[in-house]
Amino acid sequence: MEEKTLPRILGFLCKWCSSTGADLAGVSRLKMPASLIPIRVMCSSRVNPIFVLKAFLGGADGVLVSGCHPGDCHYQSGNYYTRRRFAVTKKIFEELGLDTNRIRLSWISASEGQRFVNVVTEFTENLKKVGKNPVKAEVFL
Amino acid sequence: MKGKIIPLKDNLNNTIKEVIKSLLEKGCFDAILVPNRVPSGESFTYLLINDQDFLESCTPLPPIMPIQGARALRNLTRRGKTSLKVLCVMRPCEIRAAIELSKLRQVELENISFMSIDCPGALVTKDYIDKPKDSDILYEEVLDQWTSEHLRPTCNTCVNFSYENTPSDIHIGIIGQQKNHILLLPISDKGNALLGKIDIQCSDEISSWQTNVKEILQKKTDQRNNSFSELQNKTAGAENLDNLFSDCINCHNCMRVCPICYCRQCFFESSDEVRIEAENYFIKAQNKGGIKFPANTILFHLGRISHMALSCVNCGACEDGCPMDVPVAQIFSYIGDTVQKMFDYIPGKDRNEPIPILTYKEDELHEYEDSKGQ
Amino acid sequence: MKSFKIPKSPDDTVKDILLFLLKNEKVGSIFALSKVHNNNHAYTLITDKELLSNITPTYPLMLANAGKMISRLTMIEAVKSPVAVVLRPCELRALFELVKLEQAKLDNLLFVSFTCGGVFPIKTKKDGLENKLKEYWENVKTGEDFQELRESCRICENFVPDNADIILQLAGNDTNTGTSVLIKTEKGAGFLEGIRDQFDEGSLESTTLDTIRGKRKERKQKTFADLKTEDFGIEGLINIFGRCINCHACSKACPACYCKLCYFESADSESDPSTFEIELKKRKAIRLPADTVFYHLGRLTHVGFTCVGCGMCSDVCPTNIPVSTIFSKVSERIQKAFEYTPGKDLEEKVPMSIFEMKEFEDVED
Repeated sequence: MEEKTLPRILGFLCKWCSSTGADLAGVSRLKMPASLIPIRVMCSSRVNPIFVLKAFLGGADGVLVSGCHPGDCHYQSGNYYTRRRFAVTKKIFEELGLDTNRIRLSWISASEGQRFVNVVTEFTENLKKVGKNPVKAEVFL
Repeated sequence: MKGKIIPLKDNLNNTIKEVIKSLLEKGCFDAILVPNRVPSGESFTYLLINDQDFLESCTPLPPIMPIQGARALRNLTRRGKTSLKVLCVMRPCEIRAAIELSKLRQVELENISFMSIDCPGALVTKDYIDKPKDSDILYEEVLDQWTSEHLRPTCNTCVNFSYENTPSDIHIGIIGQQKNHILLLPISDKGNALLGKIDIQCSDEISSWQTNVKEILQKKTDQRNNSFSELQNKTAGAENLDNLFSDCINCHNCMRVCPICYCRQCFFESSDEVRIEAENYFIKAQNKGGIKFPANTILFHLGRISHMALSCVNCGACEDGCPMDVPVAQIFSYIGDTVQKMFDYIPGKDRNEPIPILTYKEDELHEYEDSKGQ
Repeated sequence: MKSFKIPKSPDDTVKDILLFLLKNEKVGSIFALSKVHNNNHAYTLITDKELLSNITPTYPLMLANAGKMISRLTMIEAVKSPVAVVLRPCELRALFELVKLEQAKLDNLLFVSFTCGGVFPIKTKKDGLENKLKEYWENVKTGEDFQELRESCRICENFVPDNADIILQLAGNDTNTGTSVLIKTEKGAGFLEGIRDQFDEGSLESTTLDTIRGKRKERKQKTFADLKTEDFGIEGLINIFGRCINCHACSKACPACYCKLCYFESADSESDPSTFEIELKKRKAIRLPADTVFYHLGRLTHVGFTCVGCGMCSDVCPTNIPVSTIFSKVSERIQKAFEYTPGKDLEEKVPMSIFEMKEFEDVED
């Protein structure tokens, strides 16, 4: 029953760290809300801002972009670009009155299973507070 | 043919809506594709609806056609058939465009049914958006007169405004009737079965409506002939084409709003046309002393005509979407008429008749080949 | 800064300069707005002196952003012999952005521009623009707000073409008795060597220009505040973009949108019927064709940092959506965040192509 009331989060996880971090959380049997639908990408910089928008307008309650900590990118500098792109997306959200609580950028390394759990749990709790994404009911998008 | 006369329920759109609603209610369809007013009120868009409440706010015959219905259907079924049984409530030209697109494999007609409505034409979208309220009143007048200077120019010269040449399933006759009733006509066997399911027996005489249709058809044919003879003088020769298209700013809007132009990447936006060596431009400029930028606007229009004139249904979307009011639709309609006549082809009329350019006969068109050559 | 005055109208002054350049074989061709068929105007690449009489470089109409047109010309290779290009400040800025994005090359281009009084919406053309010209030039002289101009021009603070080589002083200047020309760069001086025996001293800075800038800024702030974009939310966005017909004219006219195949026209943007069916189940109704708000937001993420506010997008919209005003406002915020002014400095990299090790700590966690 809890599933139905949980917010839905679409997560873009970098293959080299965040996704492995998520796996670590799993094998370590850490508990977290089943709110995240993960999509593995080769690097967080693969995430075109359009992906975030599509997820948001598709009705996702939250969108998580997650990659290696700055300086640790498998491809040297991918995540620095991710941060810039995310900043642009966030500015657009702010300027157009869209809820910035629904998008989040988190750095999670392969060894940070616990941090992955914390991020997902915290994001889920926040989203519970802000409620369902109103976009879900819109038909004229 | 017989039909069913249905008395008007406060207004035309509401009466049609009742029919659609009962079709959805009886489970004849899973969803209805029908125009709806946008929330801000000054325009319309197609909605695919499976809910009675949303149907309540639909407008089966909106005063404007900002989006050609075939484009909406293309959006839905370009990648394959839909498993939903869908009723598309559209103007005749939209249905004909959808049929053409199905021949071009851009629309999948399985599970799709059509309801057409006698079409008085569509107002110019830009004008409507400026003054939606006044335009709504204006459209009431159009429904009386069946012609108006405020309509799209190609609507005034449209001869396929009723069920003829449009293979819909159910047609709604409103010409000369709209003051007190509408007419339901089963065009196909499917349409007949559908009306049966909502307990409508088609046994009413329709001759008075048919007379009205003929009368309007005569009027529109005259207007069409006049317009074509005018266009004949305007389009002939390079000089005239230069003048006609000189307003064009190469935004390619006509192409993108055209239901038939379906290429994802148009040749005129591809590397072939966009990535050209600078030298190339200079050589052309030196030949004539100078060239226009963007270059090749006339090539674009002639190229587009050569691609889709055979399937052009004269909906007028191109002209409606043109920010410069180039009379694209009128030109295309005139040229389209000429090439369609060559093959005795009416686009969208017959689902099974192939587009002439996609077929051939071994023994034809000899007047276009050189038989005297050595 | 060297300057000189030619006792002629702005258009004739440009003609004089271009004729000098052509005659002395300093340039081989000219790129400028010209009168063409049917009393229309279009950008033209001219190699024949005779055709110079047709040019109308200061005619207040922008049918295409010249930056985009020069990008077409120089996309693959730089021009081999010098070309004098006459264009407006925002067009030059757009071109600079396109150069940074590797869509154009500047070699051998000499830029002639002017302090810009703005242009009319292209829709004005059909009501006849000629009878408005007198009033237009009067307003250019005084720098007063002219209601009939493009919204984007009325709120434009960047009407001085800082990066041009040769600059005509129009805004805030009386051009009835003649037009002042400033030679901004060394390059410009080289090209104009010999046009005069003696030059005056001139400056781009003046209190008049500051006043005009101030007025435009004030208008901009008011226009932006009136938009109330912060209150849009999804409902507001639907109200504004709901009448969009997915024609993508704004993208085709936009100098910053240079992709040959836009994502929103690619197969990637299409959905299987089953996707629509799932959405229909959830929402009970769906719009077809879909993706209007998505398209505009997506375009904002792509062009927000390079938007020069030329206003082409609003002008070509067949459903009168104020695209440009919204894009300018959102872009201003993005550009501020990156401390970036598009088209200002060729050396300054496009924000999306570089990064700092430490920045935007407020967006990450």
